[in-house]
Amino acid sequence: MSAVLLIAVPLLAAFLSILYKKAAPYLLLAVSFAAVLLLNYVDFGTITIGGFAAPYGISLVFDSFSKVALTVVNILFFLVSIISIWNYKKLGTVLLVALAGLNGLLLTGDLFNLFVFIEVSGIAAYIITTTNKKPLATFNYLVLGTVGSSLYLLGLIILYAMFGTLNMADLSLEIAGSGASNLVTAFPFLLMFIGLGVEAKLLPFNSWVKGILGNSNTLSGPMIAAVYASAMAFVFGRLLTSVFVFSDQLMLIVSIVIIFSITAGEAMAYASTKAREILLFSSIAQAAIVVLVFALGFTGFGAILAAVNGFSKLVLFLVINHATEEVGSDEVEELKGIFIENKLVGAGFTVATLSILGLPLFVGFVVKMNVLKSLFMADKLIFPAVILLASVVEGVYFVKLLVKLWYKKDAPASVSFGLPIAYLVTVIAVLLIIFGLYTAPLTDLASDLVNITQGGLL
Amino acid sequence: MANLELIILIVLVLGVFAFLGGKLNKIIGTAFTILGSGFEFVSIAYYGFNSALDSTIEFIPYLSFMPTALGVFFGIILTFVFFMVSFFNPYFIDKYKYPAVYSMLYLFSLAGVIGVFFTDNFMTLFFFFELVVWTSLFLIPMGRSRKAASIYYGFSTFGSFALLFAILVMWGANGGSFDIETGLTALNGSETILVFMLMMVAGFAKLGAFPLHIWLPKVLTKSPDPVTAVFSGGLEKLGAFVSVMALLKLSPVGINIGVLDMQLTHYVIAFLGALTIVFGTLMAIRQDDAKKLLAYSSMSNGGYILVALALMSTTSVSGALYHVLAHALASTAAFLAIGAVARQTGTTKMSELGGMIHKMPVTYLVYLIAIISMAGIPPMGGFISKWLIFQAVIDKGLIFISMAAFFGSIGSFLYVFRPLAALFLGQELPEFKKTIKEAPLLMMIPLLVLSALNIFTGIYPTDILRLINKVLAELGIAQLTIDTWTITGNNGDLFPALIAGMFGIGVGVAFVIFIVLKKSKKVGLMDTYTAGNFIYTEELLHYSVDFYAPLERLYAKHTDIMKNFYKKLANKVKEFGAFVKYFFFTNKPEVTVIWIMIVIAFLLWGDVL
Repeated sequence: MSAVLLIAVPLLAAFLSILYKKAAPYLLLAVSFAAVLLLNYVDFGTITIGGFAAPYGISLVFDSFSKVALTVVNILFFLVSIISIWNYKKLGTVLLVALAGLNGLLLTGDLFNLFVFIEVSGIAAYIITTTNKKPLATFNYLVLGTVGSSLYLLGLIILYAMFGTLNMADLSLEIAGSGASNLVTAFPFLLMFIGLGVEAKLLPFNSWVKGILGNSNTLSGPMIAAVYASAMAFVFGRLLTSVFVFSDQLMLIVSIVIIFSITAGEAMAYASTKAREILLFSSIAQAAIVVLVFALGFTGFGAILAAVNGFSKLVLFLVINHATEEVGSDEVEELKGIFIENKLVGAGFTVATLSILGLPLFVGFVVKMNVLKSLFMADKLIFPAVILLASVVEGVYFVKLLVKLWYKKDAPASVSFGLPIAYLVTVIAVLLIIFGLYTAPLTDLASDLVNITQGGLL
Repeated sequence: MANLELIILIVLVLGVFAFLGGKLNKIIGTAFTILGSGFEFVSIAYYGFNSALDSTIEFIPYLSFMPTALGVFFGIILTFVFFMVSFFNPYFIDKYKYPAVYSMLYLFSLAGVIGVFFTDNFMTLFFFFELVVWTSLFLIPMGRSRKAASIYYGFSTFGSFALLFAILVMWGANGGSFDIETGLTALNGSETILVFMLMMVAGFAKLGAFPLHIWLPKVLTKSPDPVTAVFSGGLEKLGAFVSVMALLKLSPVGINIGVLDMQLTHYVIAFLGALTIVFGTLMAIRQDDAKKLLAYSSMSNGGYILVALALMSTTSVSGALYHVLAHALASTAAFLAIGAVARQTGTTKMSELGGMIHKMPVTYLVYLIAIISMAGIPPMGGFISKWLIFQAVIDKGLIFISMAAFFGSIGSFLYVFRPLAALFLGQELPEFKKTIKEAPLLMMIPLLVLSALNIFTGIYPTDILRLINKVLAELGIAQLTIDTWTITGNNGDLFPALIAGMFGIGVGVAFVIFIVLKKSKKVGLMDTYTAGNFIYTEELLHYSVDFYAPLERLYAKHTDIMKNFYKKLANKVKEFGAFVKYFFFTNKPEVTVIWIMIVIAFLLWGDVL
């Protein structure tokens, strides 16, 4: 099976769903489920589109990295869809376009093509966020997303003018071969970094996040925070480990941006009293850690960290958004005690939180230890120090949140989560525990990912 | 032979069973905690004493174990504390919101504790260290406060992340191996000092030593009563274990203070330990809540352990290790006794209690014996350890530190007898007159066993000191000279049994006098008068409330300095978060665009142009 189908079929289904509006949700579920299933049958390799061989034509790269990325994103996408589509049936078409865009992001081996897919998935995201009923926030998101992608495009143009190619693999060879100084490439790379940073929620480029995720619902919350965030993390991973060259001044700027994102993200979450805000600010810090791991060139555990974060985030945002919808407020004080009647969901939520905190018995511990080991290997002690200090703050507000959600003296807010959410949360929690104890698959996968070729195959 | 991994696996599995059983019936869950911790204690103690713990069979990959004398010593003490406290679980389980989870986490944290003591691998050590943190964390909010849990987590993880950083530095220096023995020796120069400081941060945080002590009184006061005993008698001692590792095994060589012939690093630790003693004592004197009072006394006893370990001499280290044992026994007994009172009356405030001796005489006796040991008075275990520690401090010529140590000891006379007077003795309160009974039988078992051991450790310390000698040999310190009945210190021999015998004769004589003399007459509470008037209400006429007011007044204004410091620190983090929120997360996209331009300008301004 060709990887093109992962983009083409959702797009085709999107067009079909316009004709048969009632069937759109079912079409969406069928296509996204098929994508998850059929991923295993896609052949490794590079697919050229339009008959021009790379680097002249547009190419899609399907290697072990994109396979992991696609698997994670497609599974997350399917899970979010099946749980939340029923309240937002009108969005079937948009979600199909989003799926095509996301798969394209992860598959493409061409920088300009990437820009196109950023725009495609971005437009879908803007429409998804309209369900928040906060037009101003969506408008801000639109403006900033456009600014980001324009900056990315500008950087791309400069690179094209310098090296005459847009193919990632070719470009990285060209840059290495041309002997161009790092100073020259720093400017376009920074522009592209900022452009992607807007989507990947890095401070200070991410002011849209508060409006969008702070008012999110059961569809937009998990979709943007889990699916889109992991997709952008993987895109970053692809570019950072194989195309971008960060050094000197640029590395300094990137480091400052990342450290600032981590510390400020945790501090803002600590300062928040609303459950959704706590989650969104803490996800800023986590996104920054993923970018950091990729920026230092550790593909393997960067990808696993992104994947694990994606699944944990799905649980957190789903549970909190659902509770918020039922209670009508996302103030933690109002949500107190929601797990007293929902022990299973509560247990799953707790496991996901503890995994994010990197506590033992959960997969987060394994990932965190390996990430820290990688950072020590890179001999950049400032990063582990910042991450560890930030994690203390992170732990304090998450423990506070957990204790509040589990305990209430008088009558707790009554929330019923329903079977699908309970089931999903439990399964993910059990998986987080299983992979926390049985770590061999993770370490194998990590070492597998280290060997991916620069920028994919030509 | 007993396999260590199997021992840990069994307790984990029993933890799961405790959860499932607890779902059926709360009491079944707690029965599993008794069974599990009892099994752990018996296997560790029996096989540990006979050096028959083995680690050759590997059931779990990545985790490796190695029994050491130090690990066996700590392991026996902690599993014993868990075992003793577990007898209290059935009587308290009704008060918990999530009883099945309680039983499970209780056993999980025991597994974590055993893992920490018996591993030879730093990553495994950290794994279990963190396991203890999060499992014990969720035991706390089942008690009286929800806030204590996050405070505990904050301090505890600050410590364990410091430890992790140290571990990773050693991992780098040791060529990518997490082995503990080689890791501690692979360091050199400034790295050693860094690792030492980080490990001591972990030790201080766990032990609740100044300046990382804020969580200790909070957690010990607010957690459920059995959990308090576990924290004070057990989990706190993880800090002592890490401190032994840093102070004695790593022991960095830096600046030497010539006058004292002591490393600066160790002097600083001893000094902080002395401050811990003083602050713990001063704060304990002020408390009205008996649990809080004992919590501060736990803190000051942690200080003794730090001071003694930092001196690195034979008497001091053996004193420190003996103090770990003696304090574990005494504080567990004291907290359990208070817990028993709290269960019967529902309060631990001294101003609300009185005369419990009439209804709970055995509990009173248990508490009495425990505090005698805590104050370091013969013939209890606490005396032996303090005797060893005091001579080591004096022998070394550390004037200020020995002043602090003596101050702490005298101070402990002031505070440990207050709960005795206020809570157990004195006027029997009318509201408790009818309803209160002595603690149930199952709760008596640990109380009596602990009391017997408190006395035993004071009379016949030889076997325990032999075990400690093994630890000393392992640490490369000269062994303590002991005979069957004597301990040889720096300044002569001690005959603990002789002292106890004399004491026993004294008690016997007093008892004879008590029997022979005329019986005292019991009168009603209102059978008296004051200020020329008869009394018509049985209101509380305690003399133990604000008893030390003149002393307290001397430092009353300065008691919250550290607490305020951490409060302000937390506020600063909040302010920083609010600041960033205000400046970056506006509804105006142009603000973000400006920040983007500033970042770009930073690059262009820097190098390219």
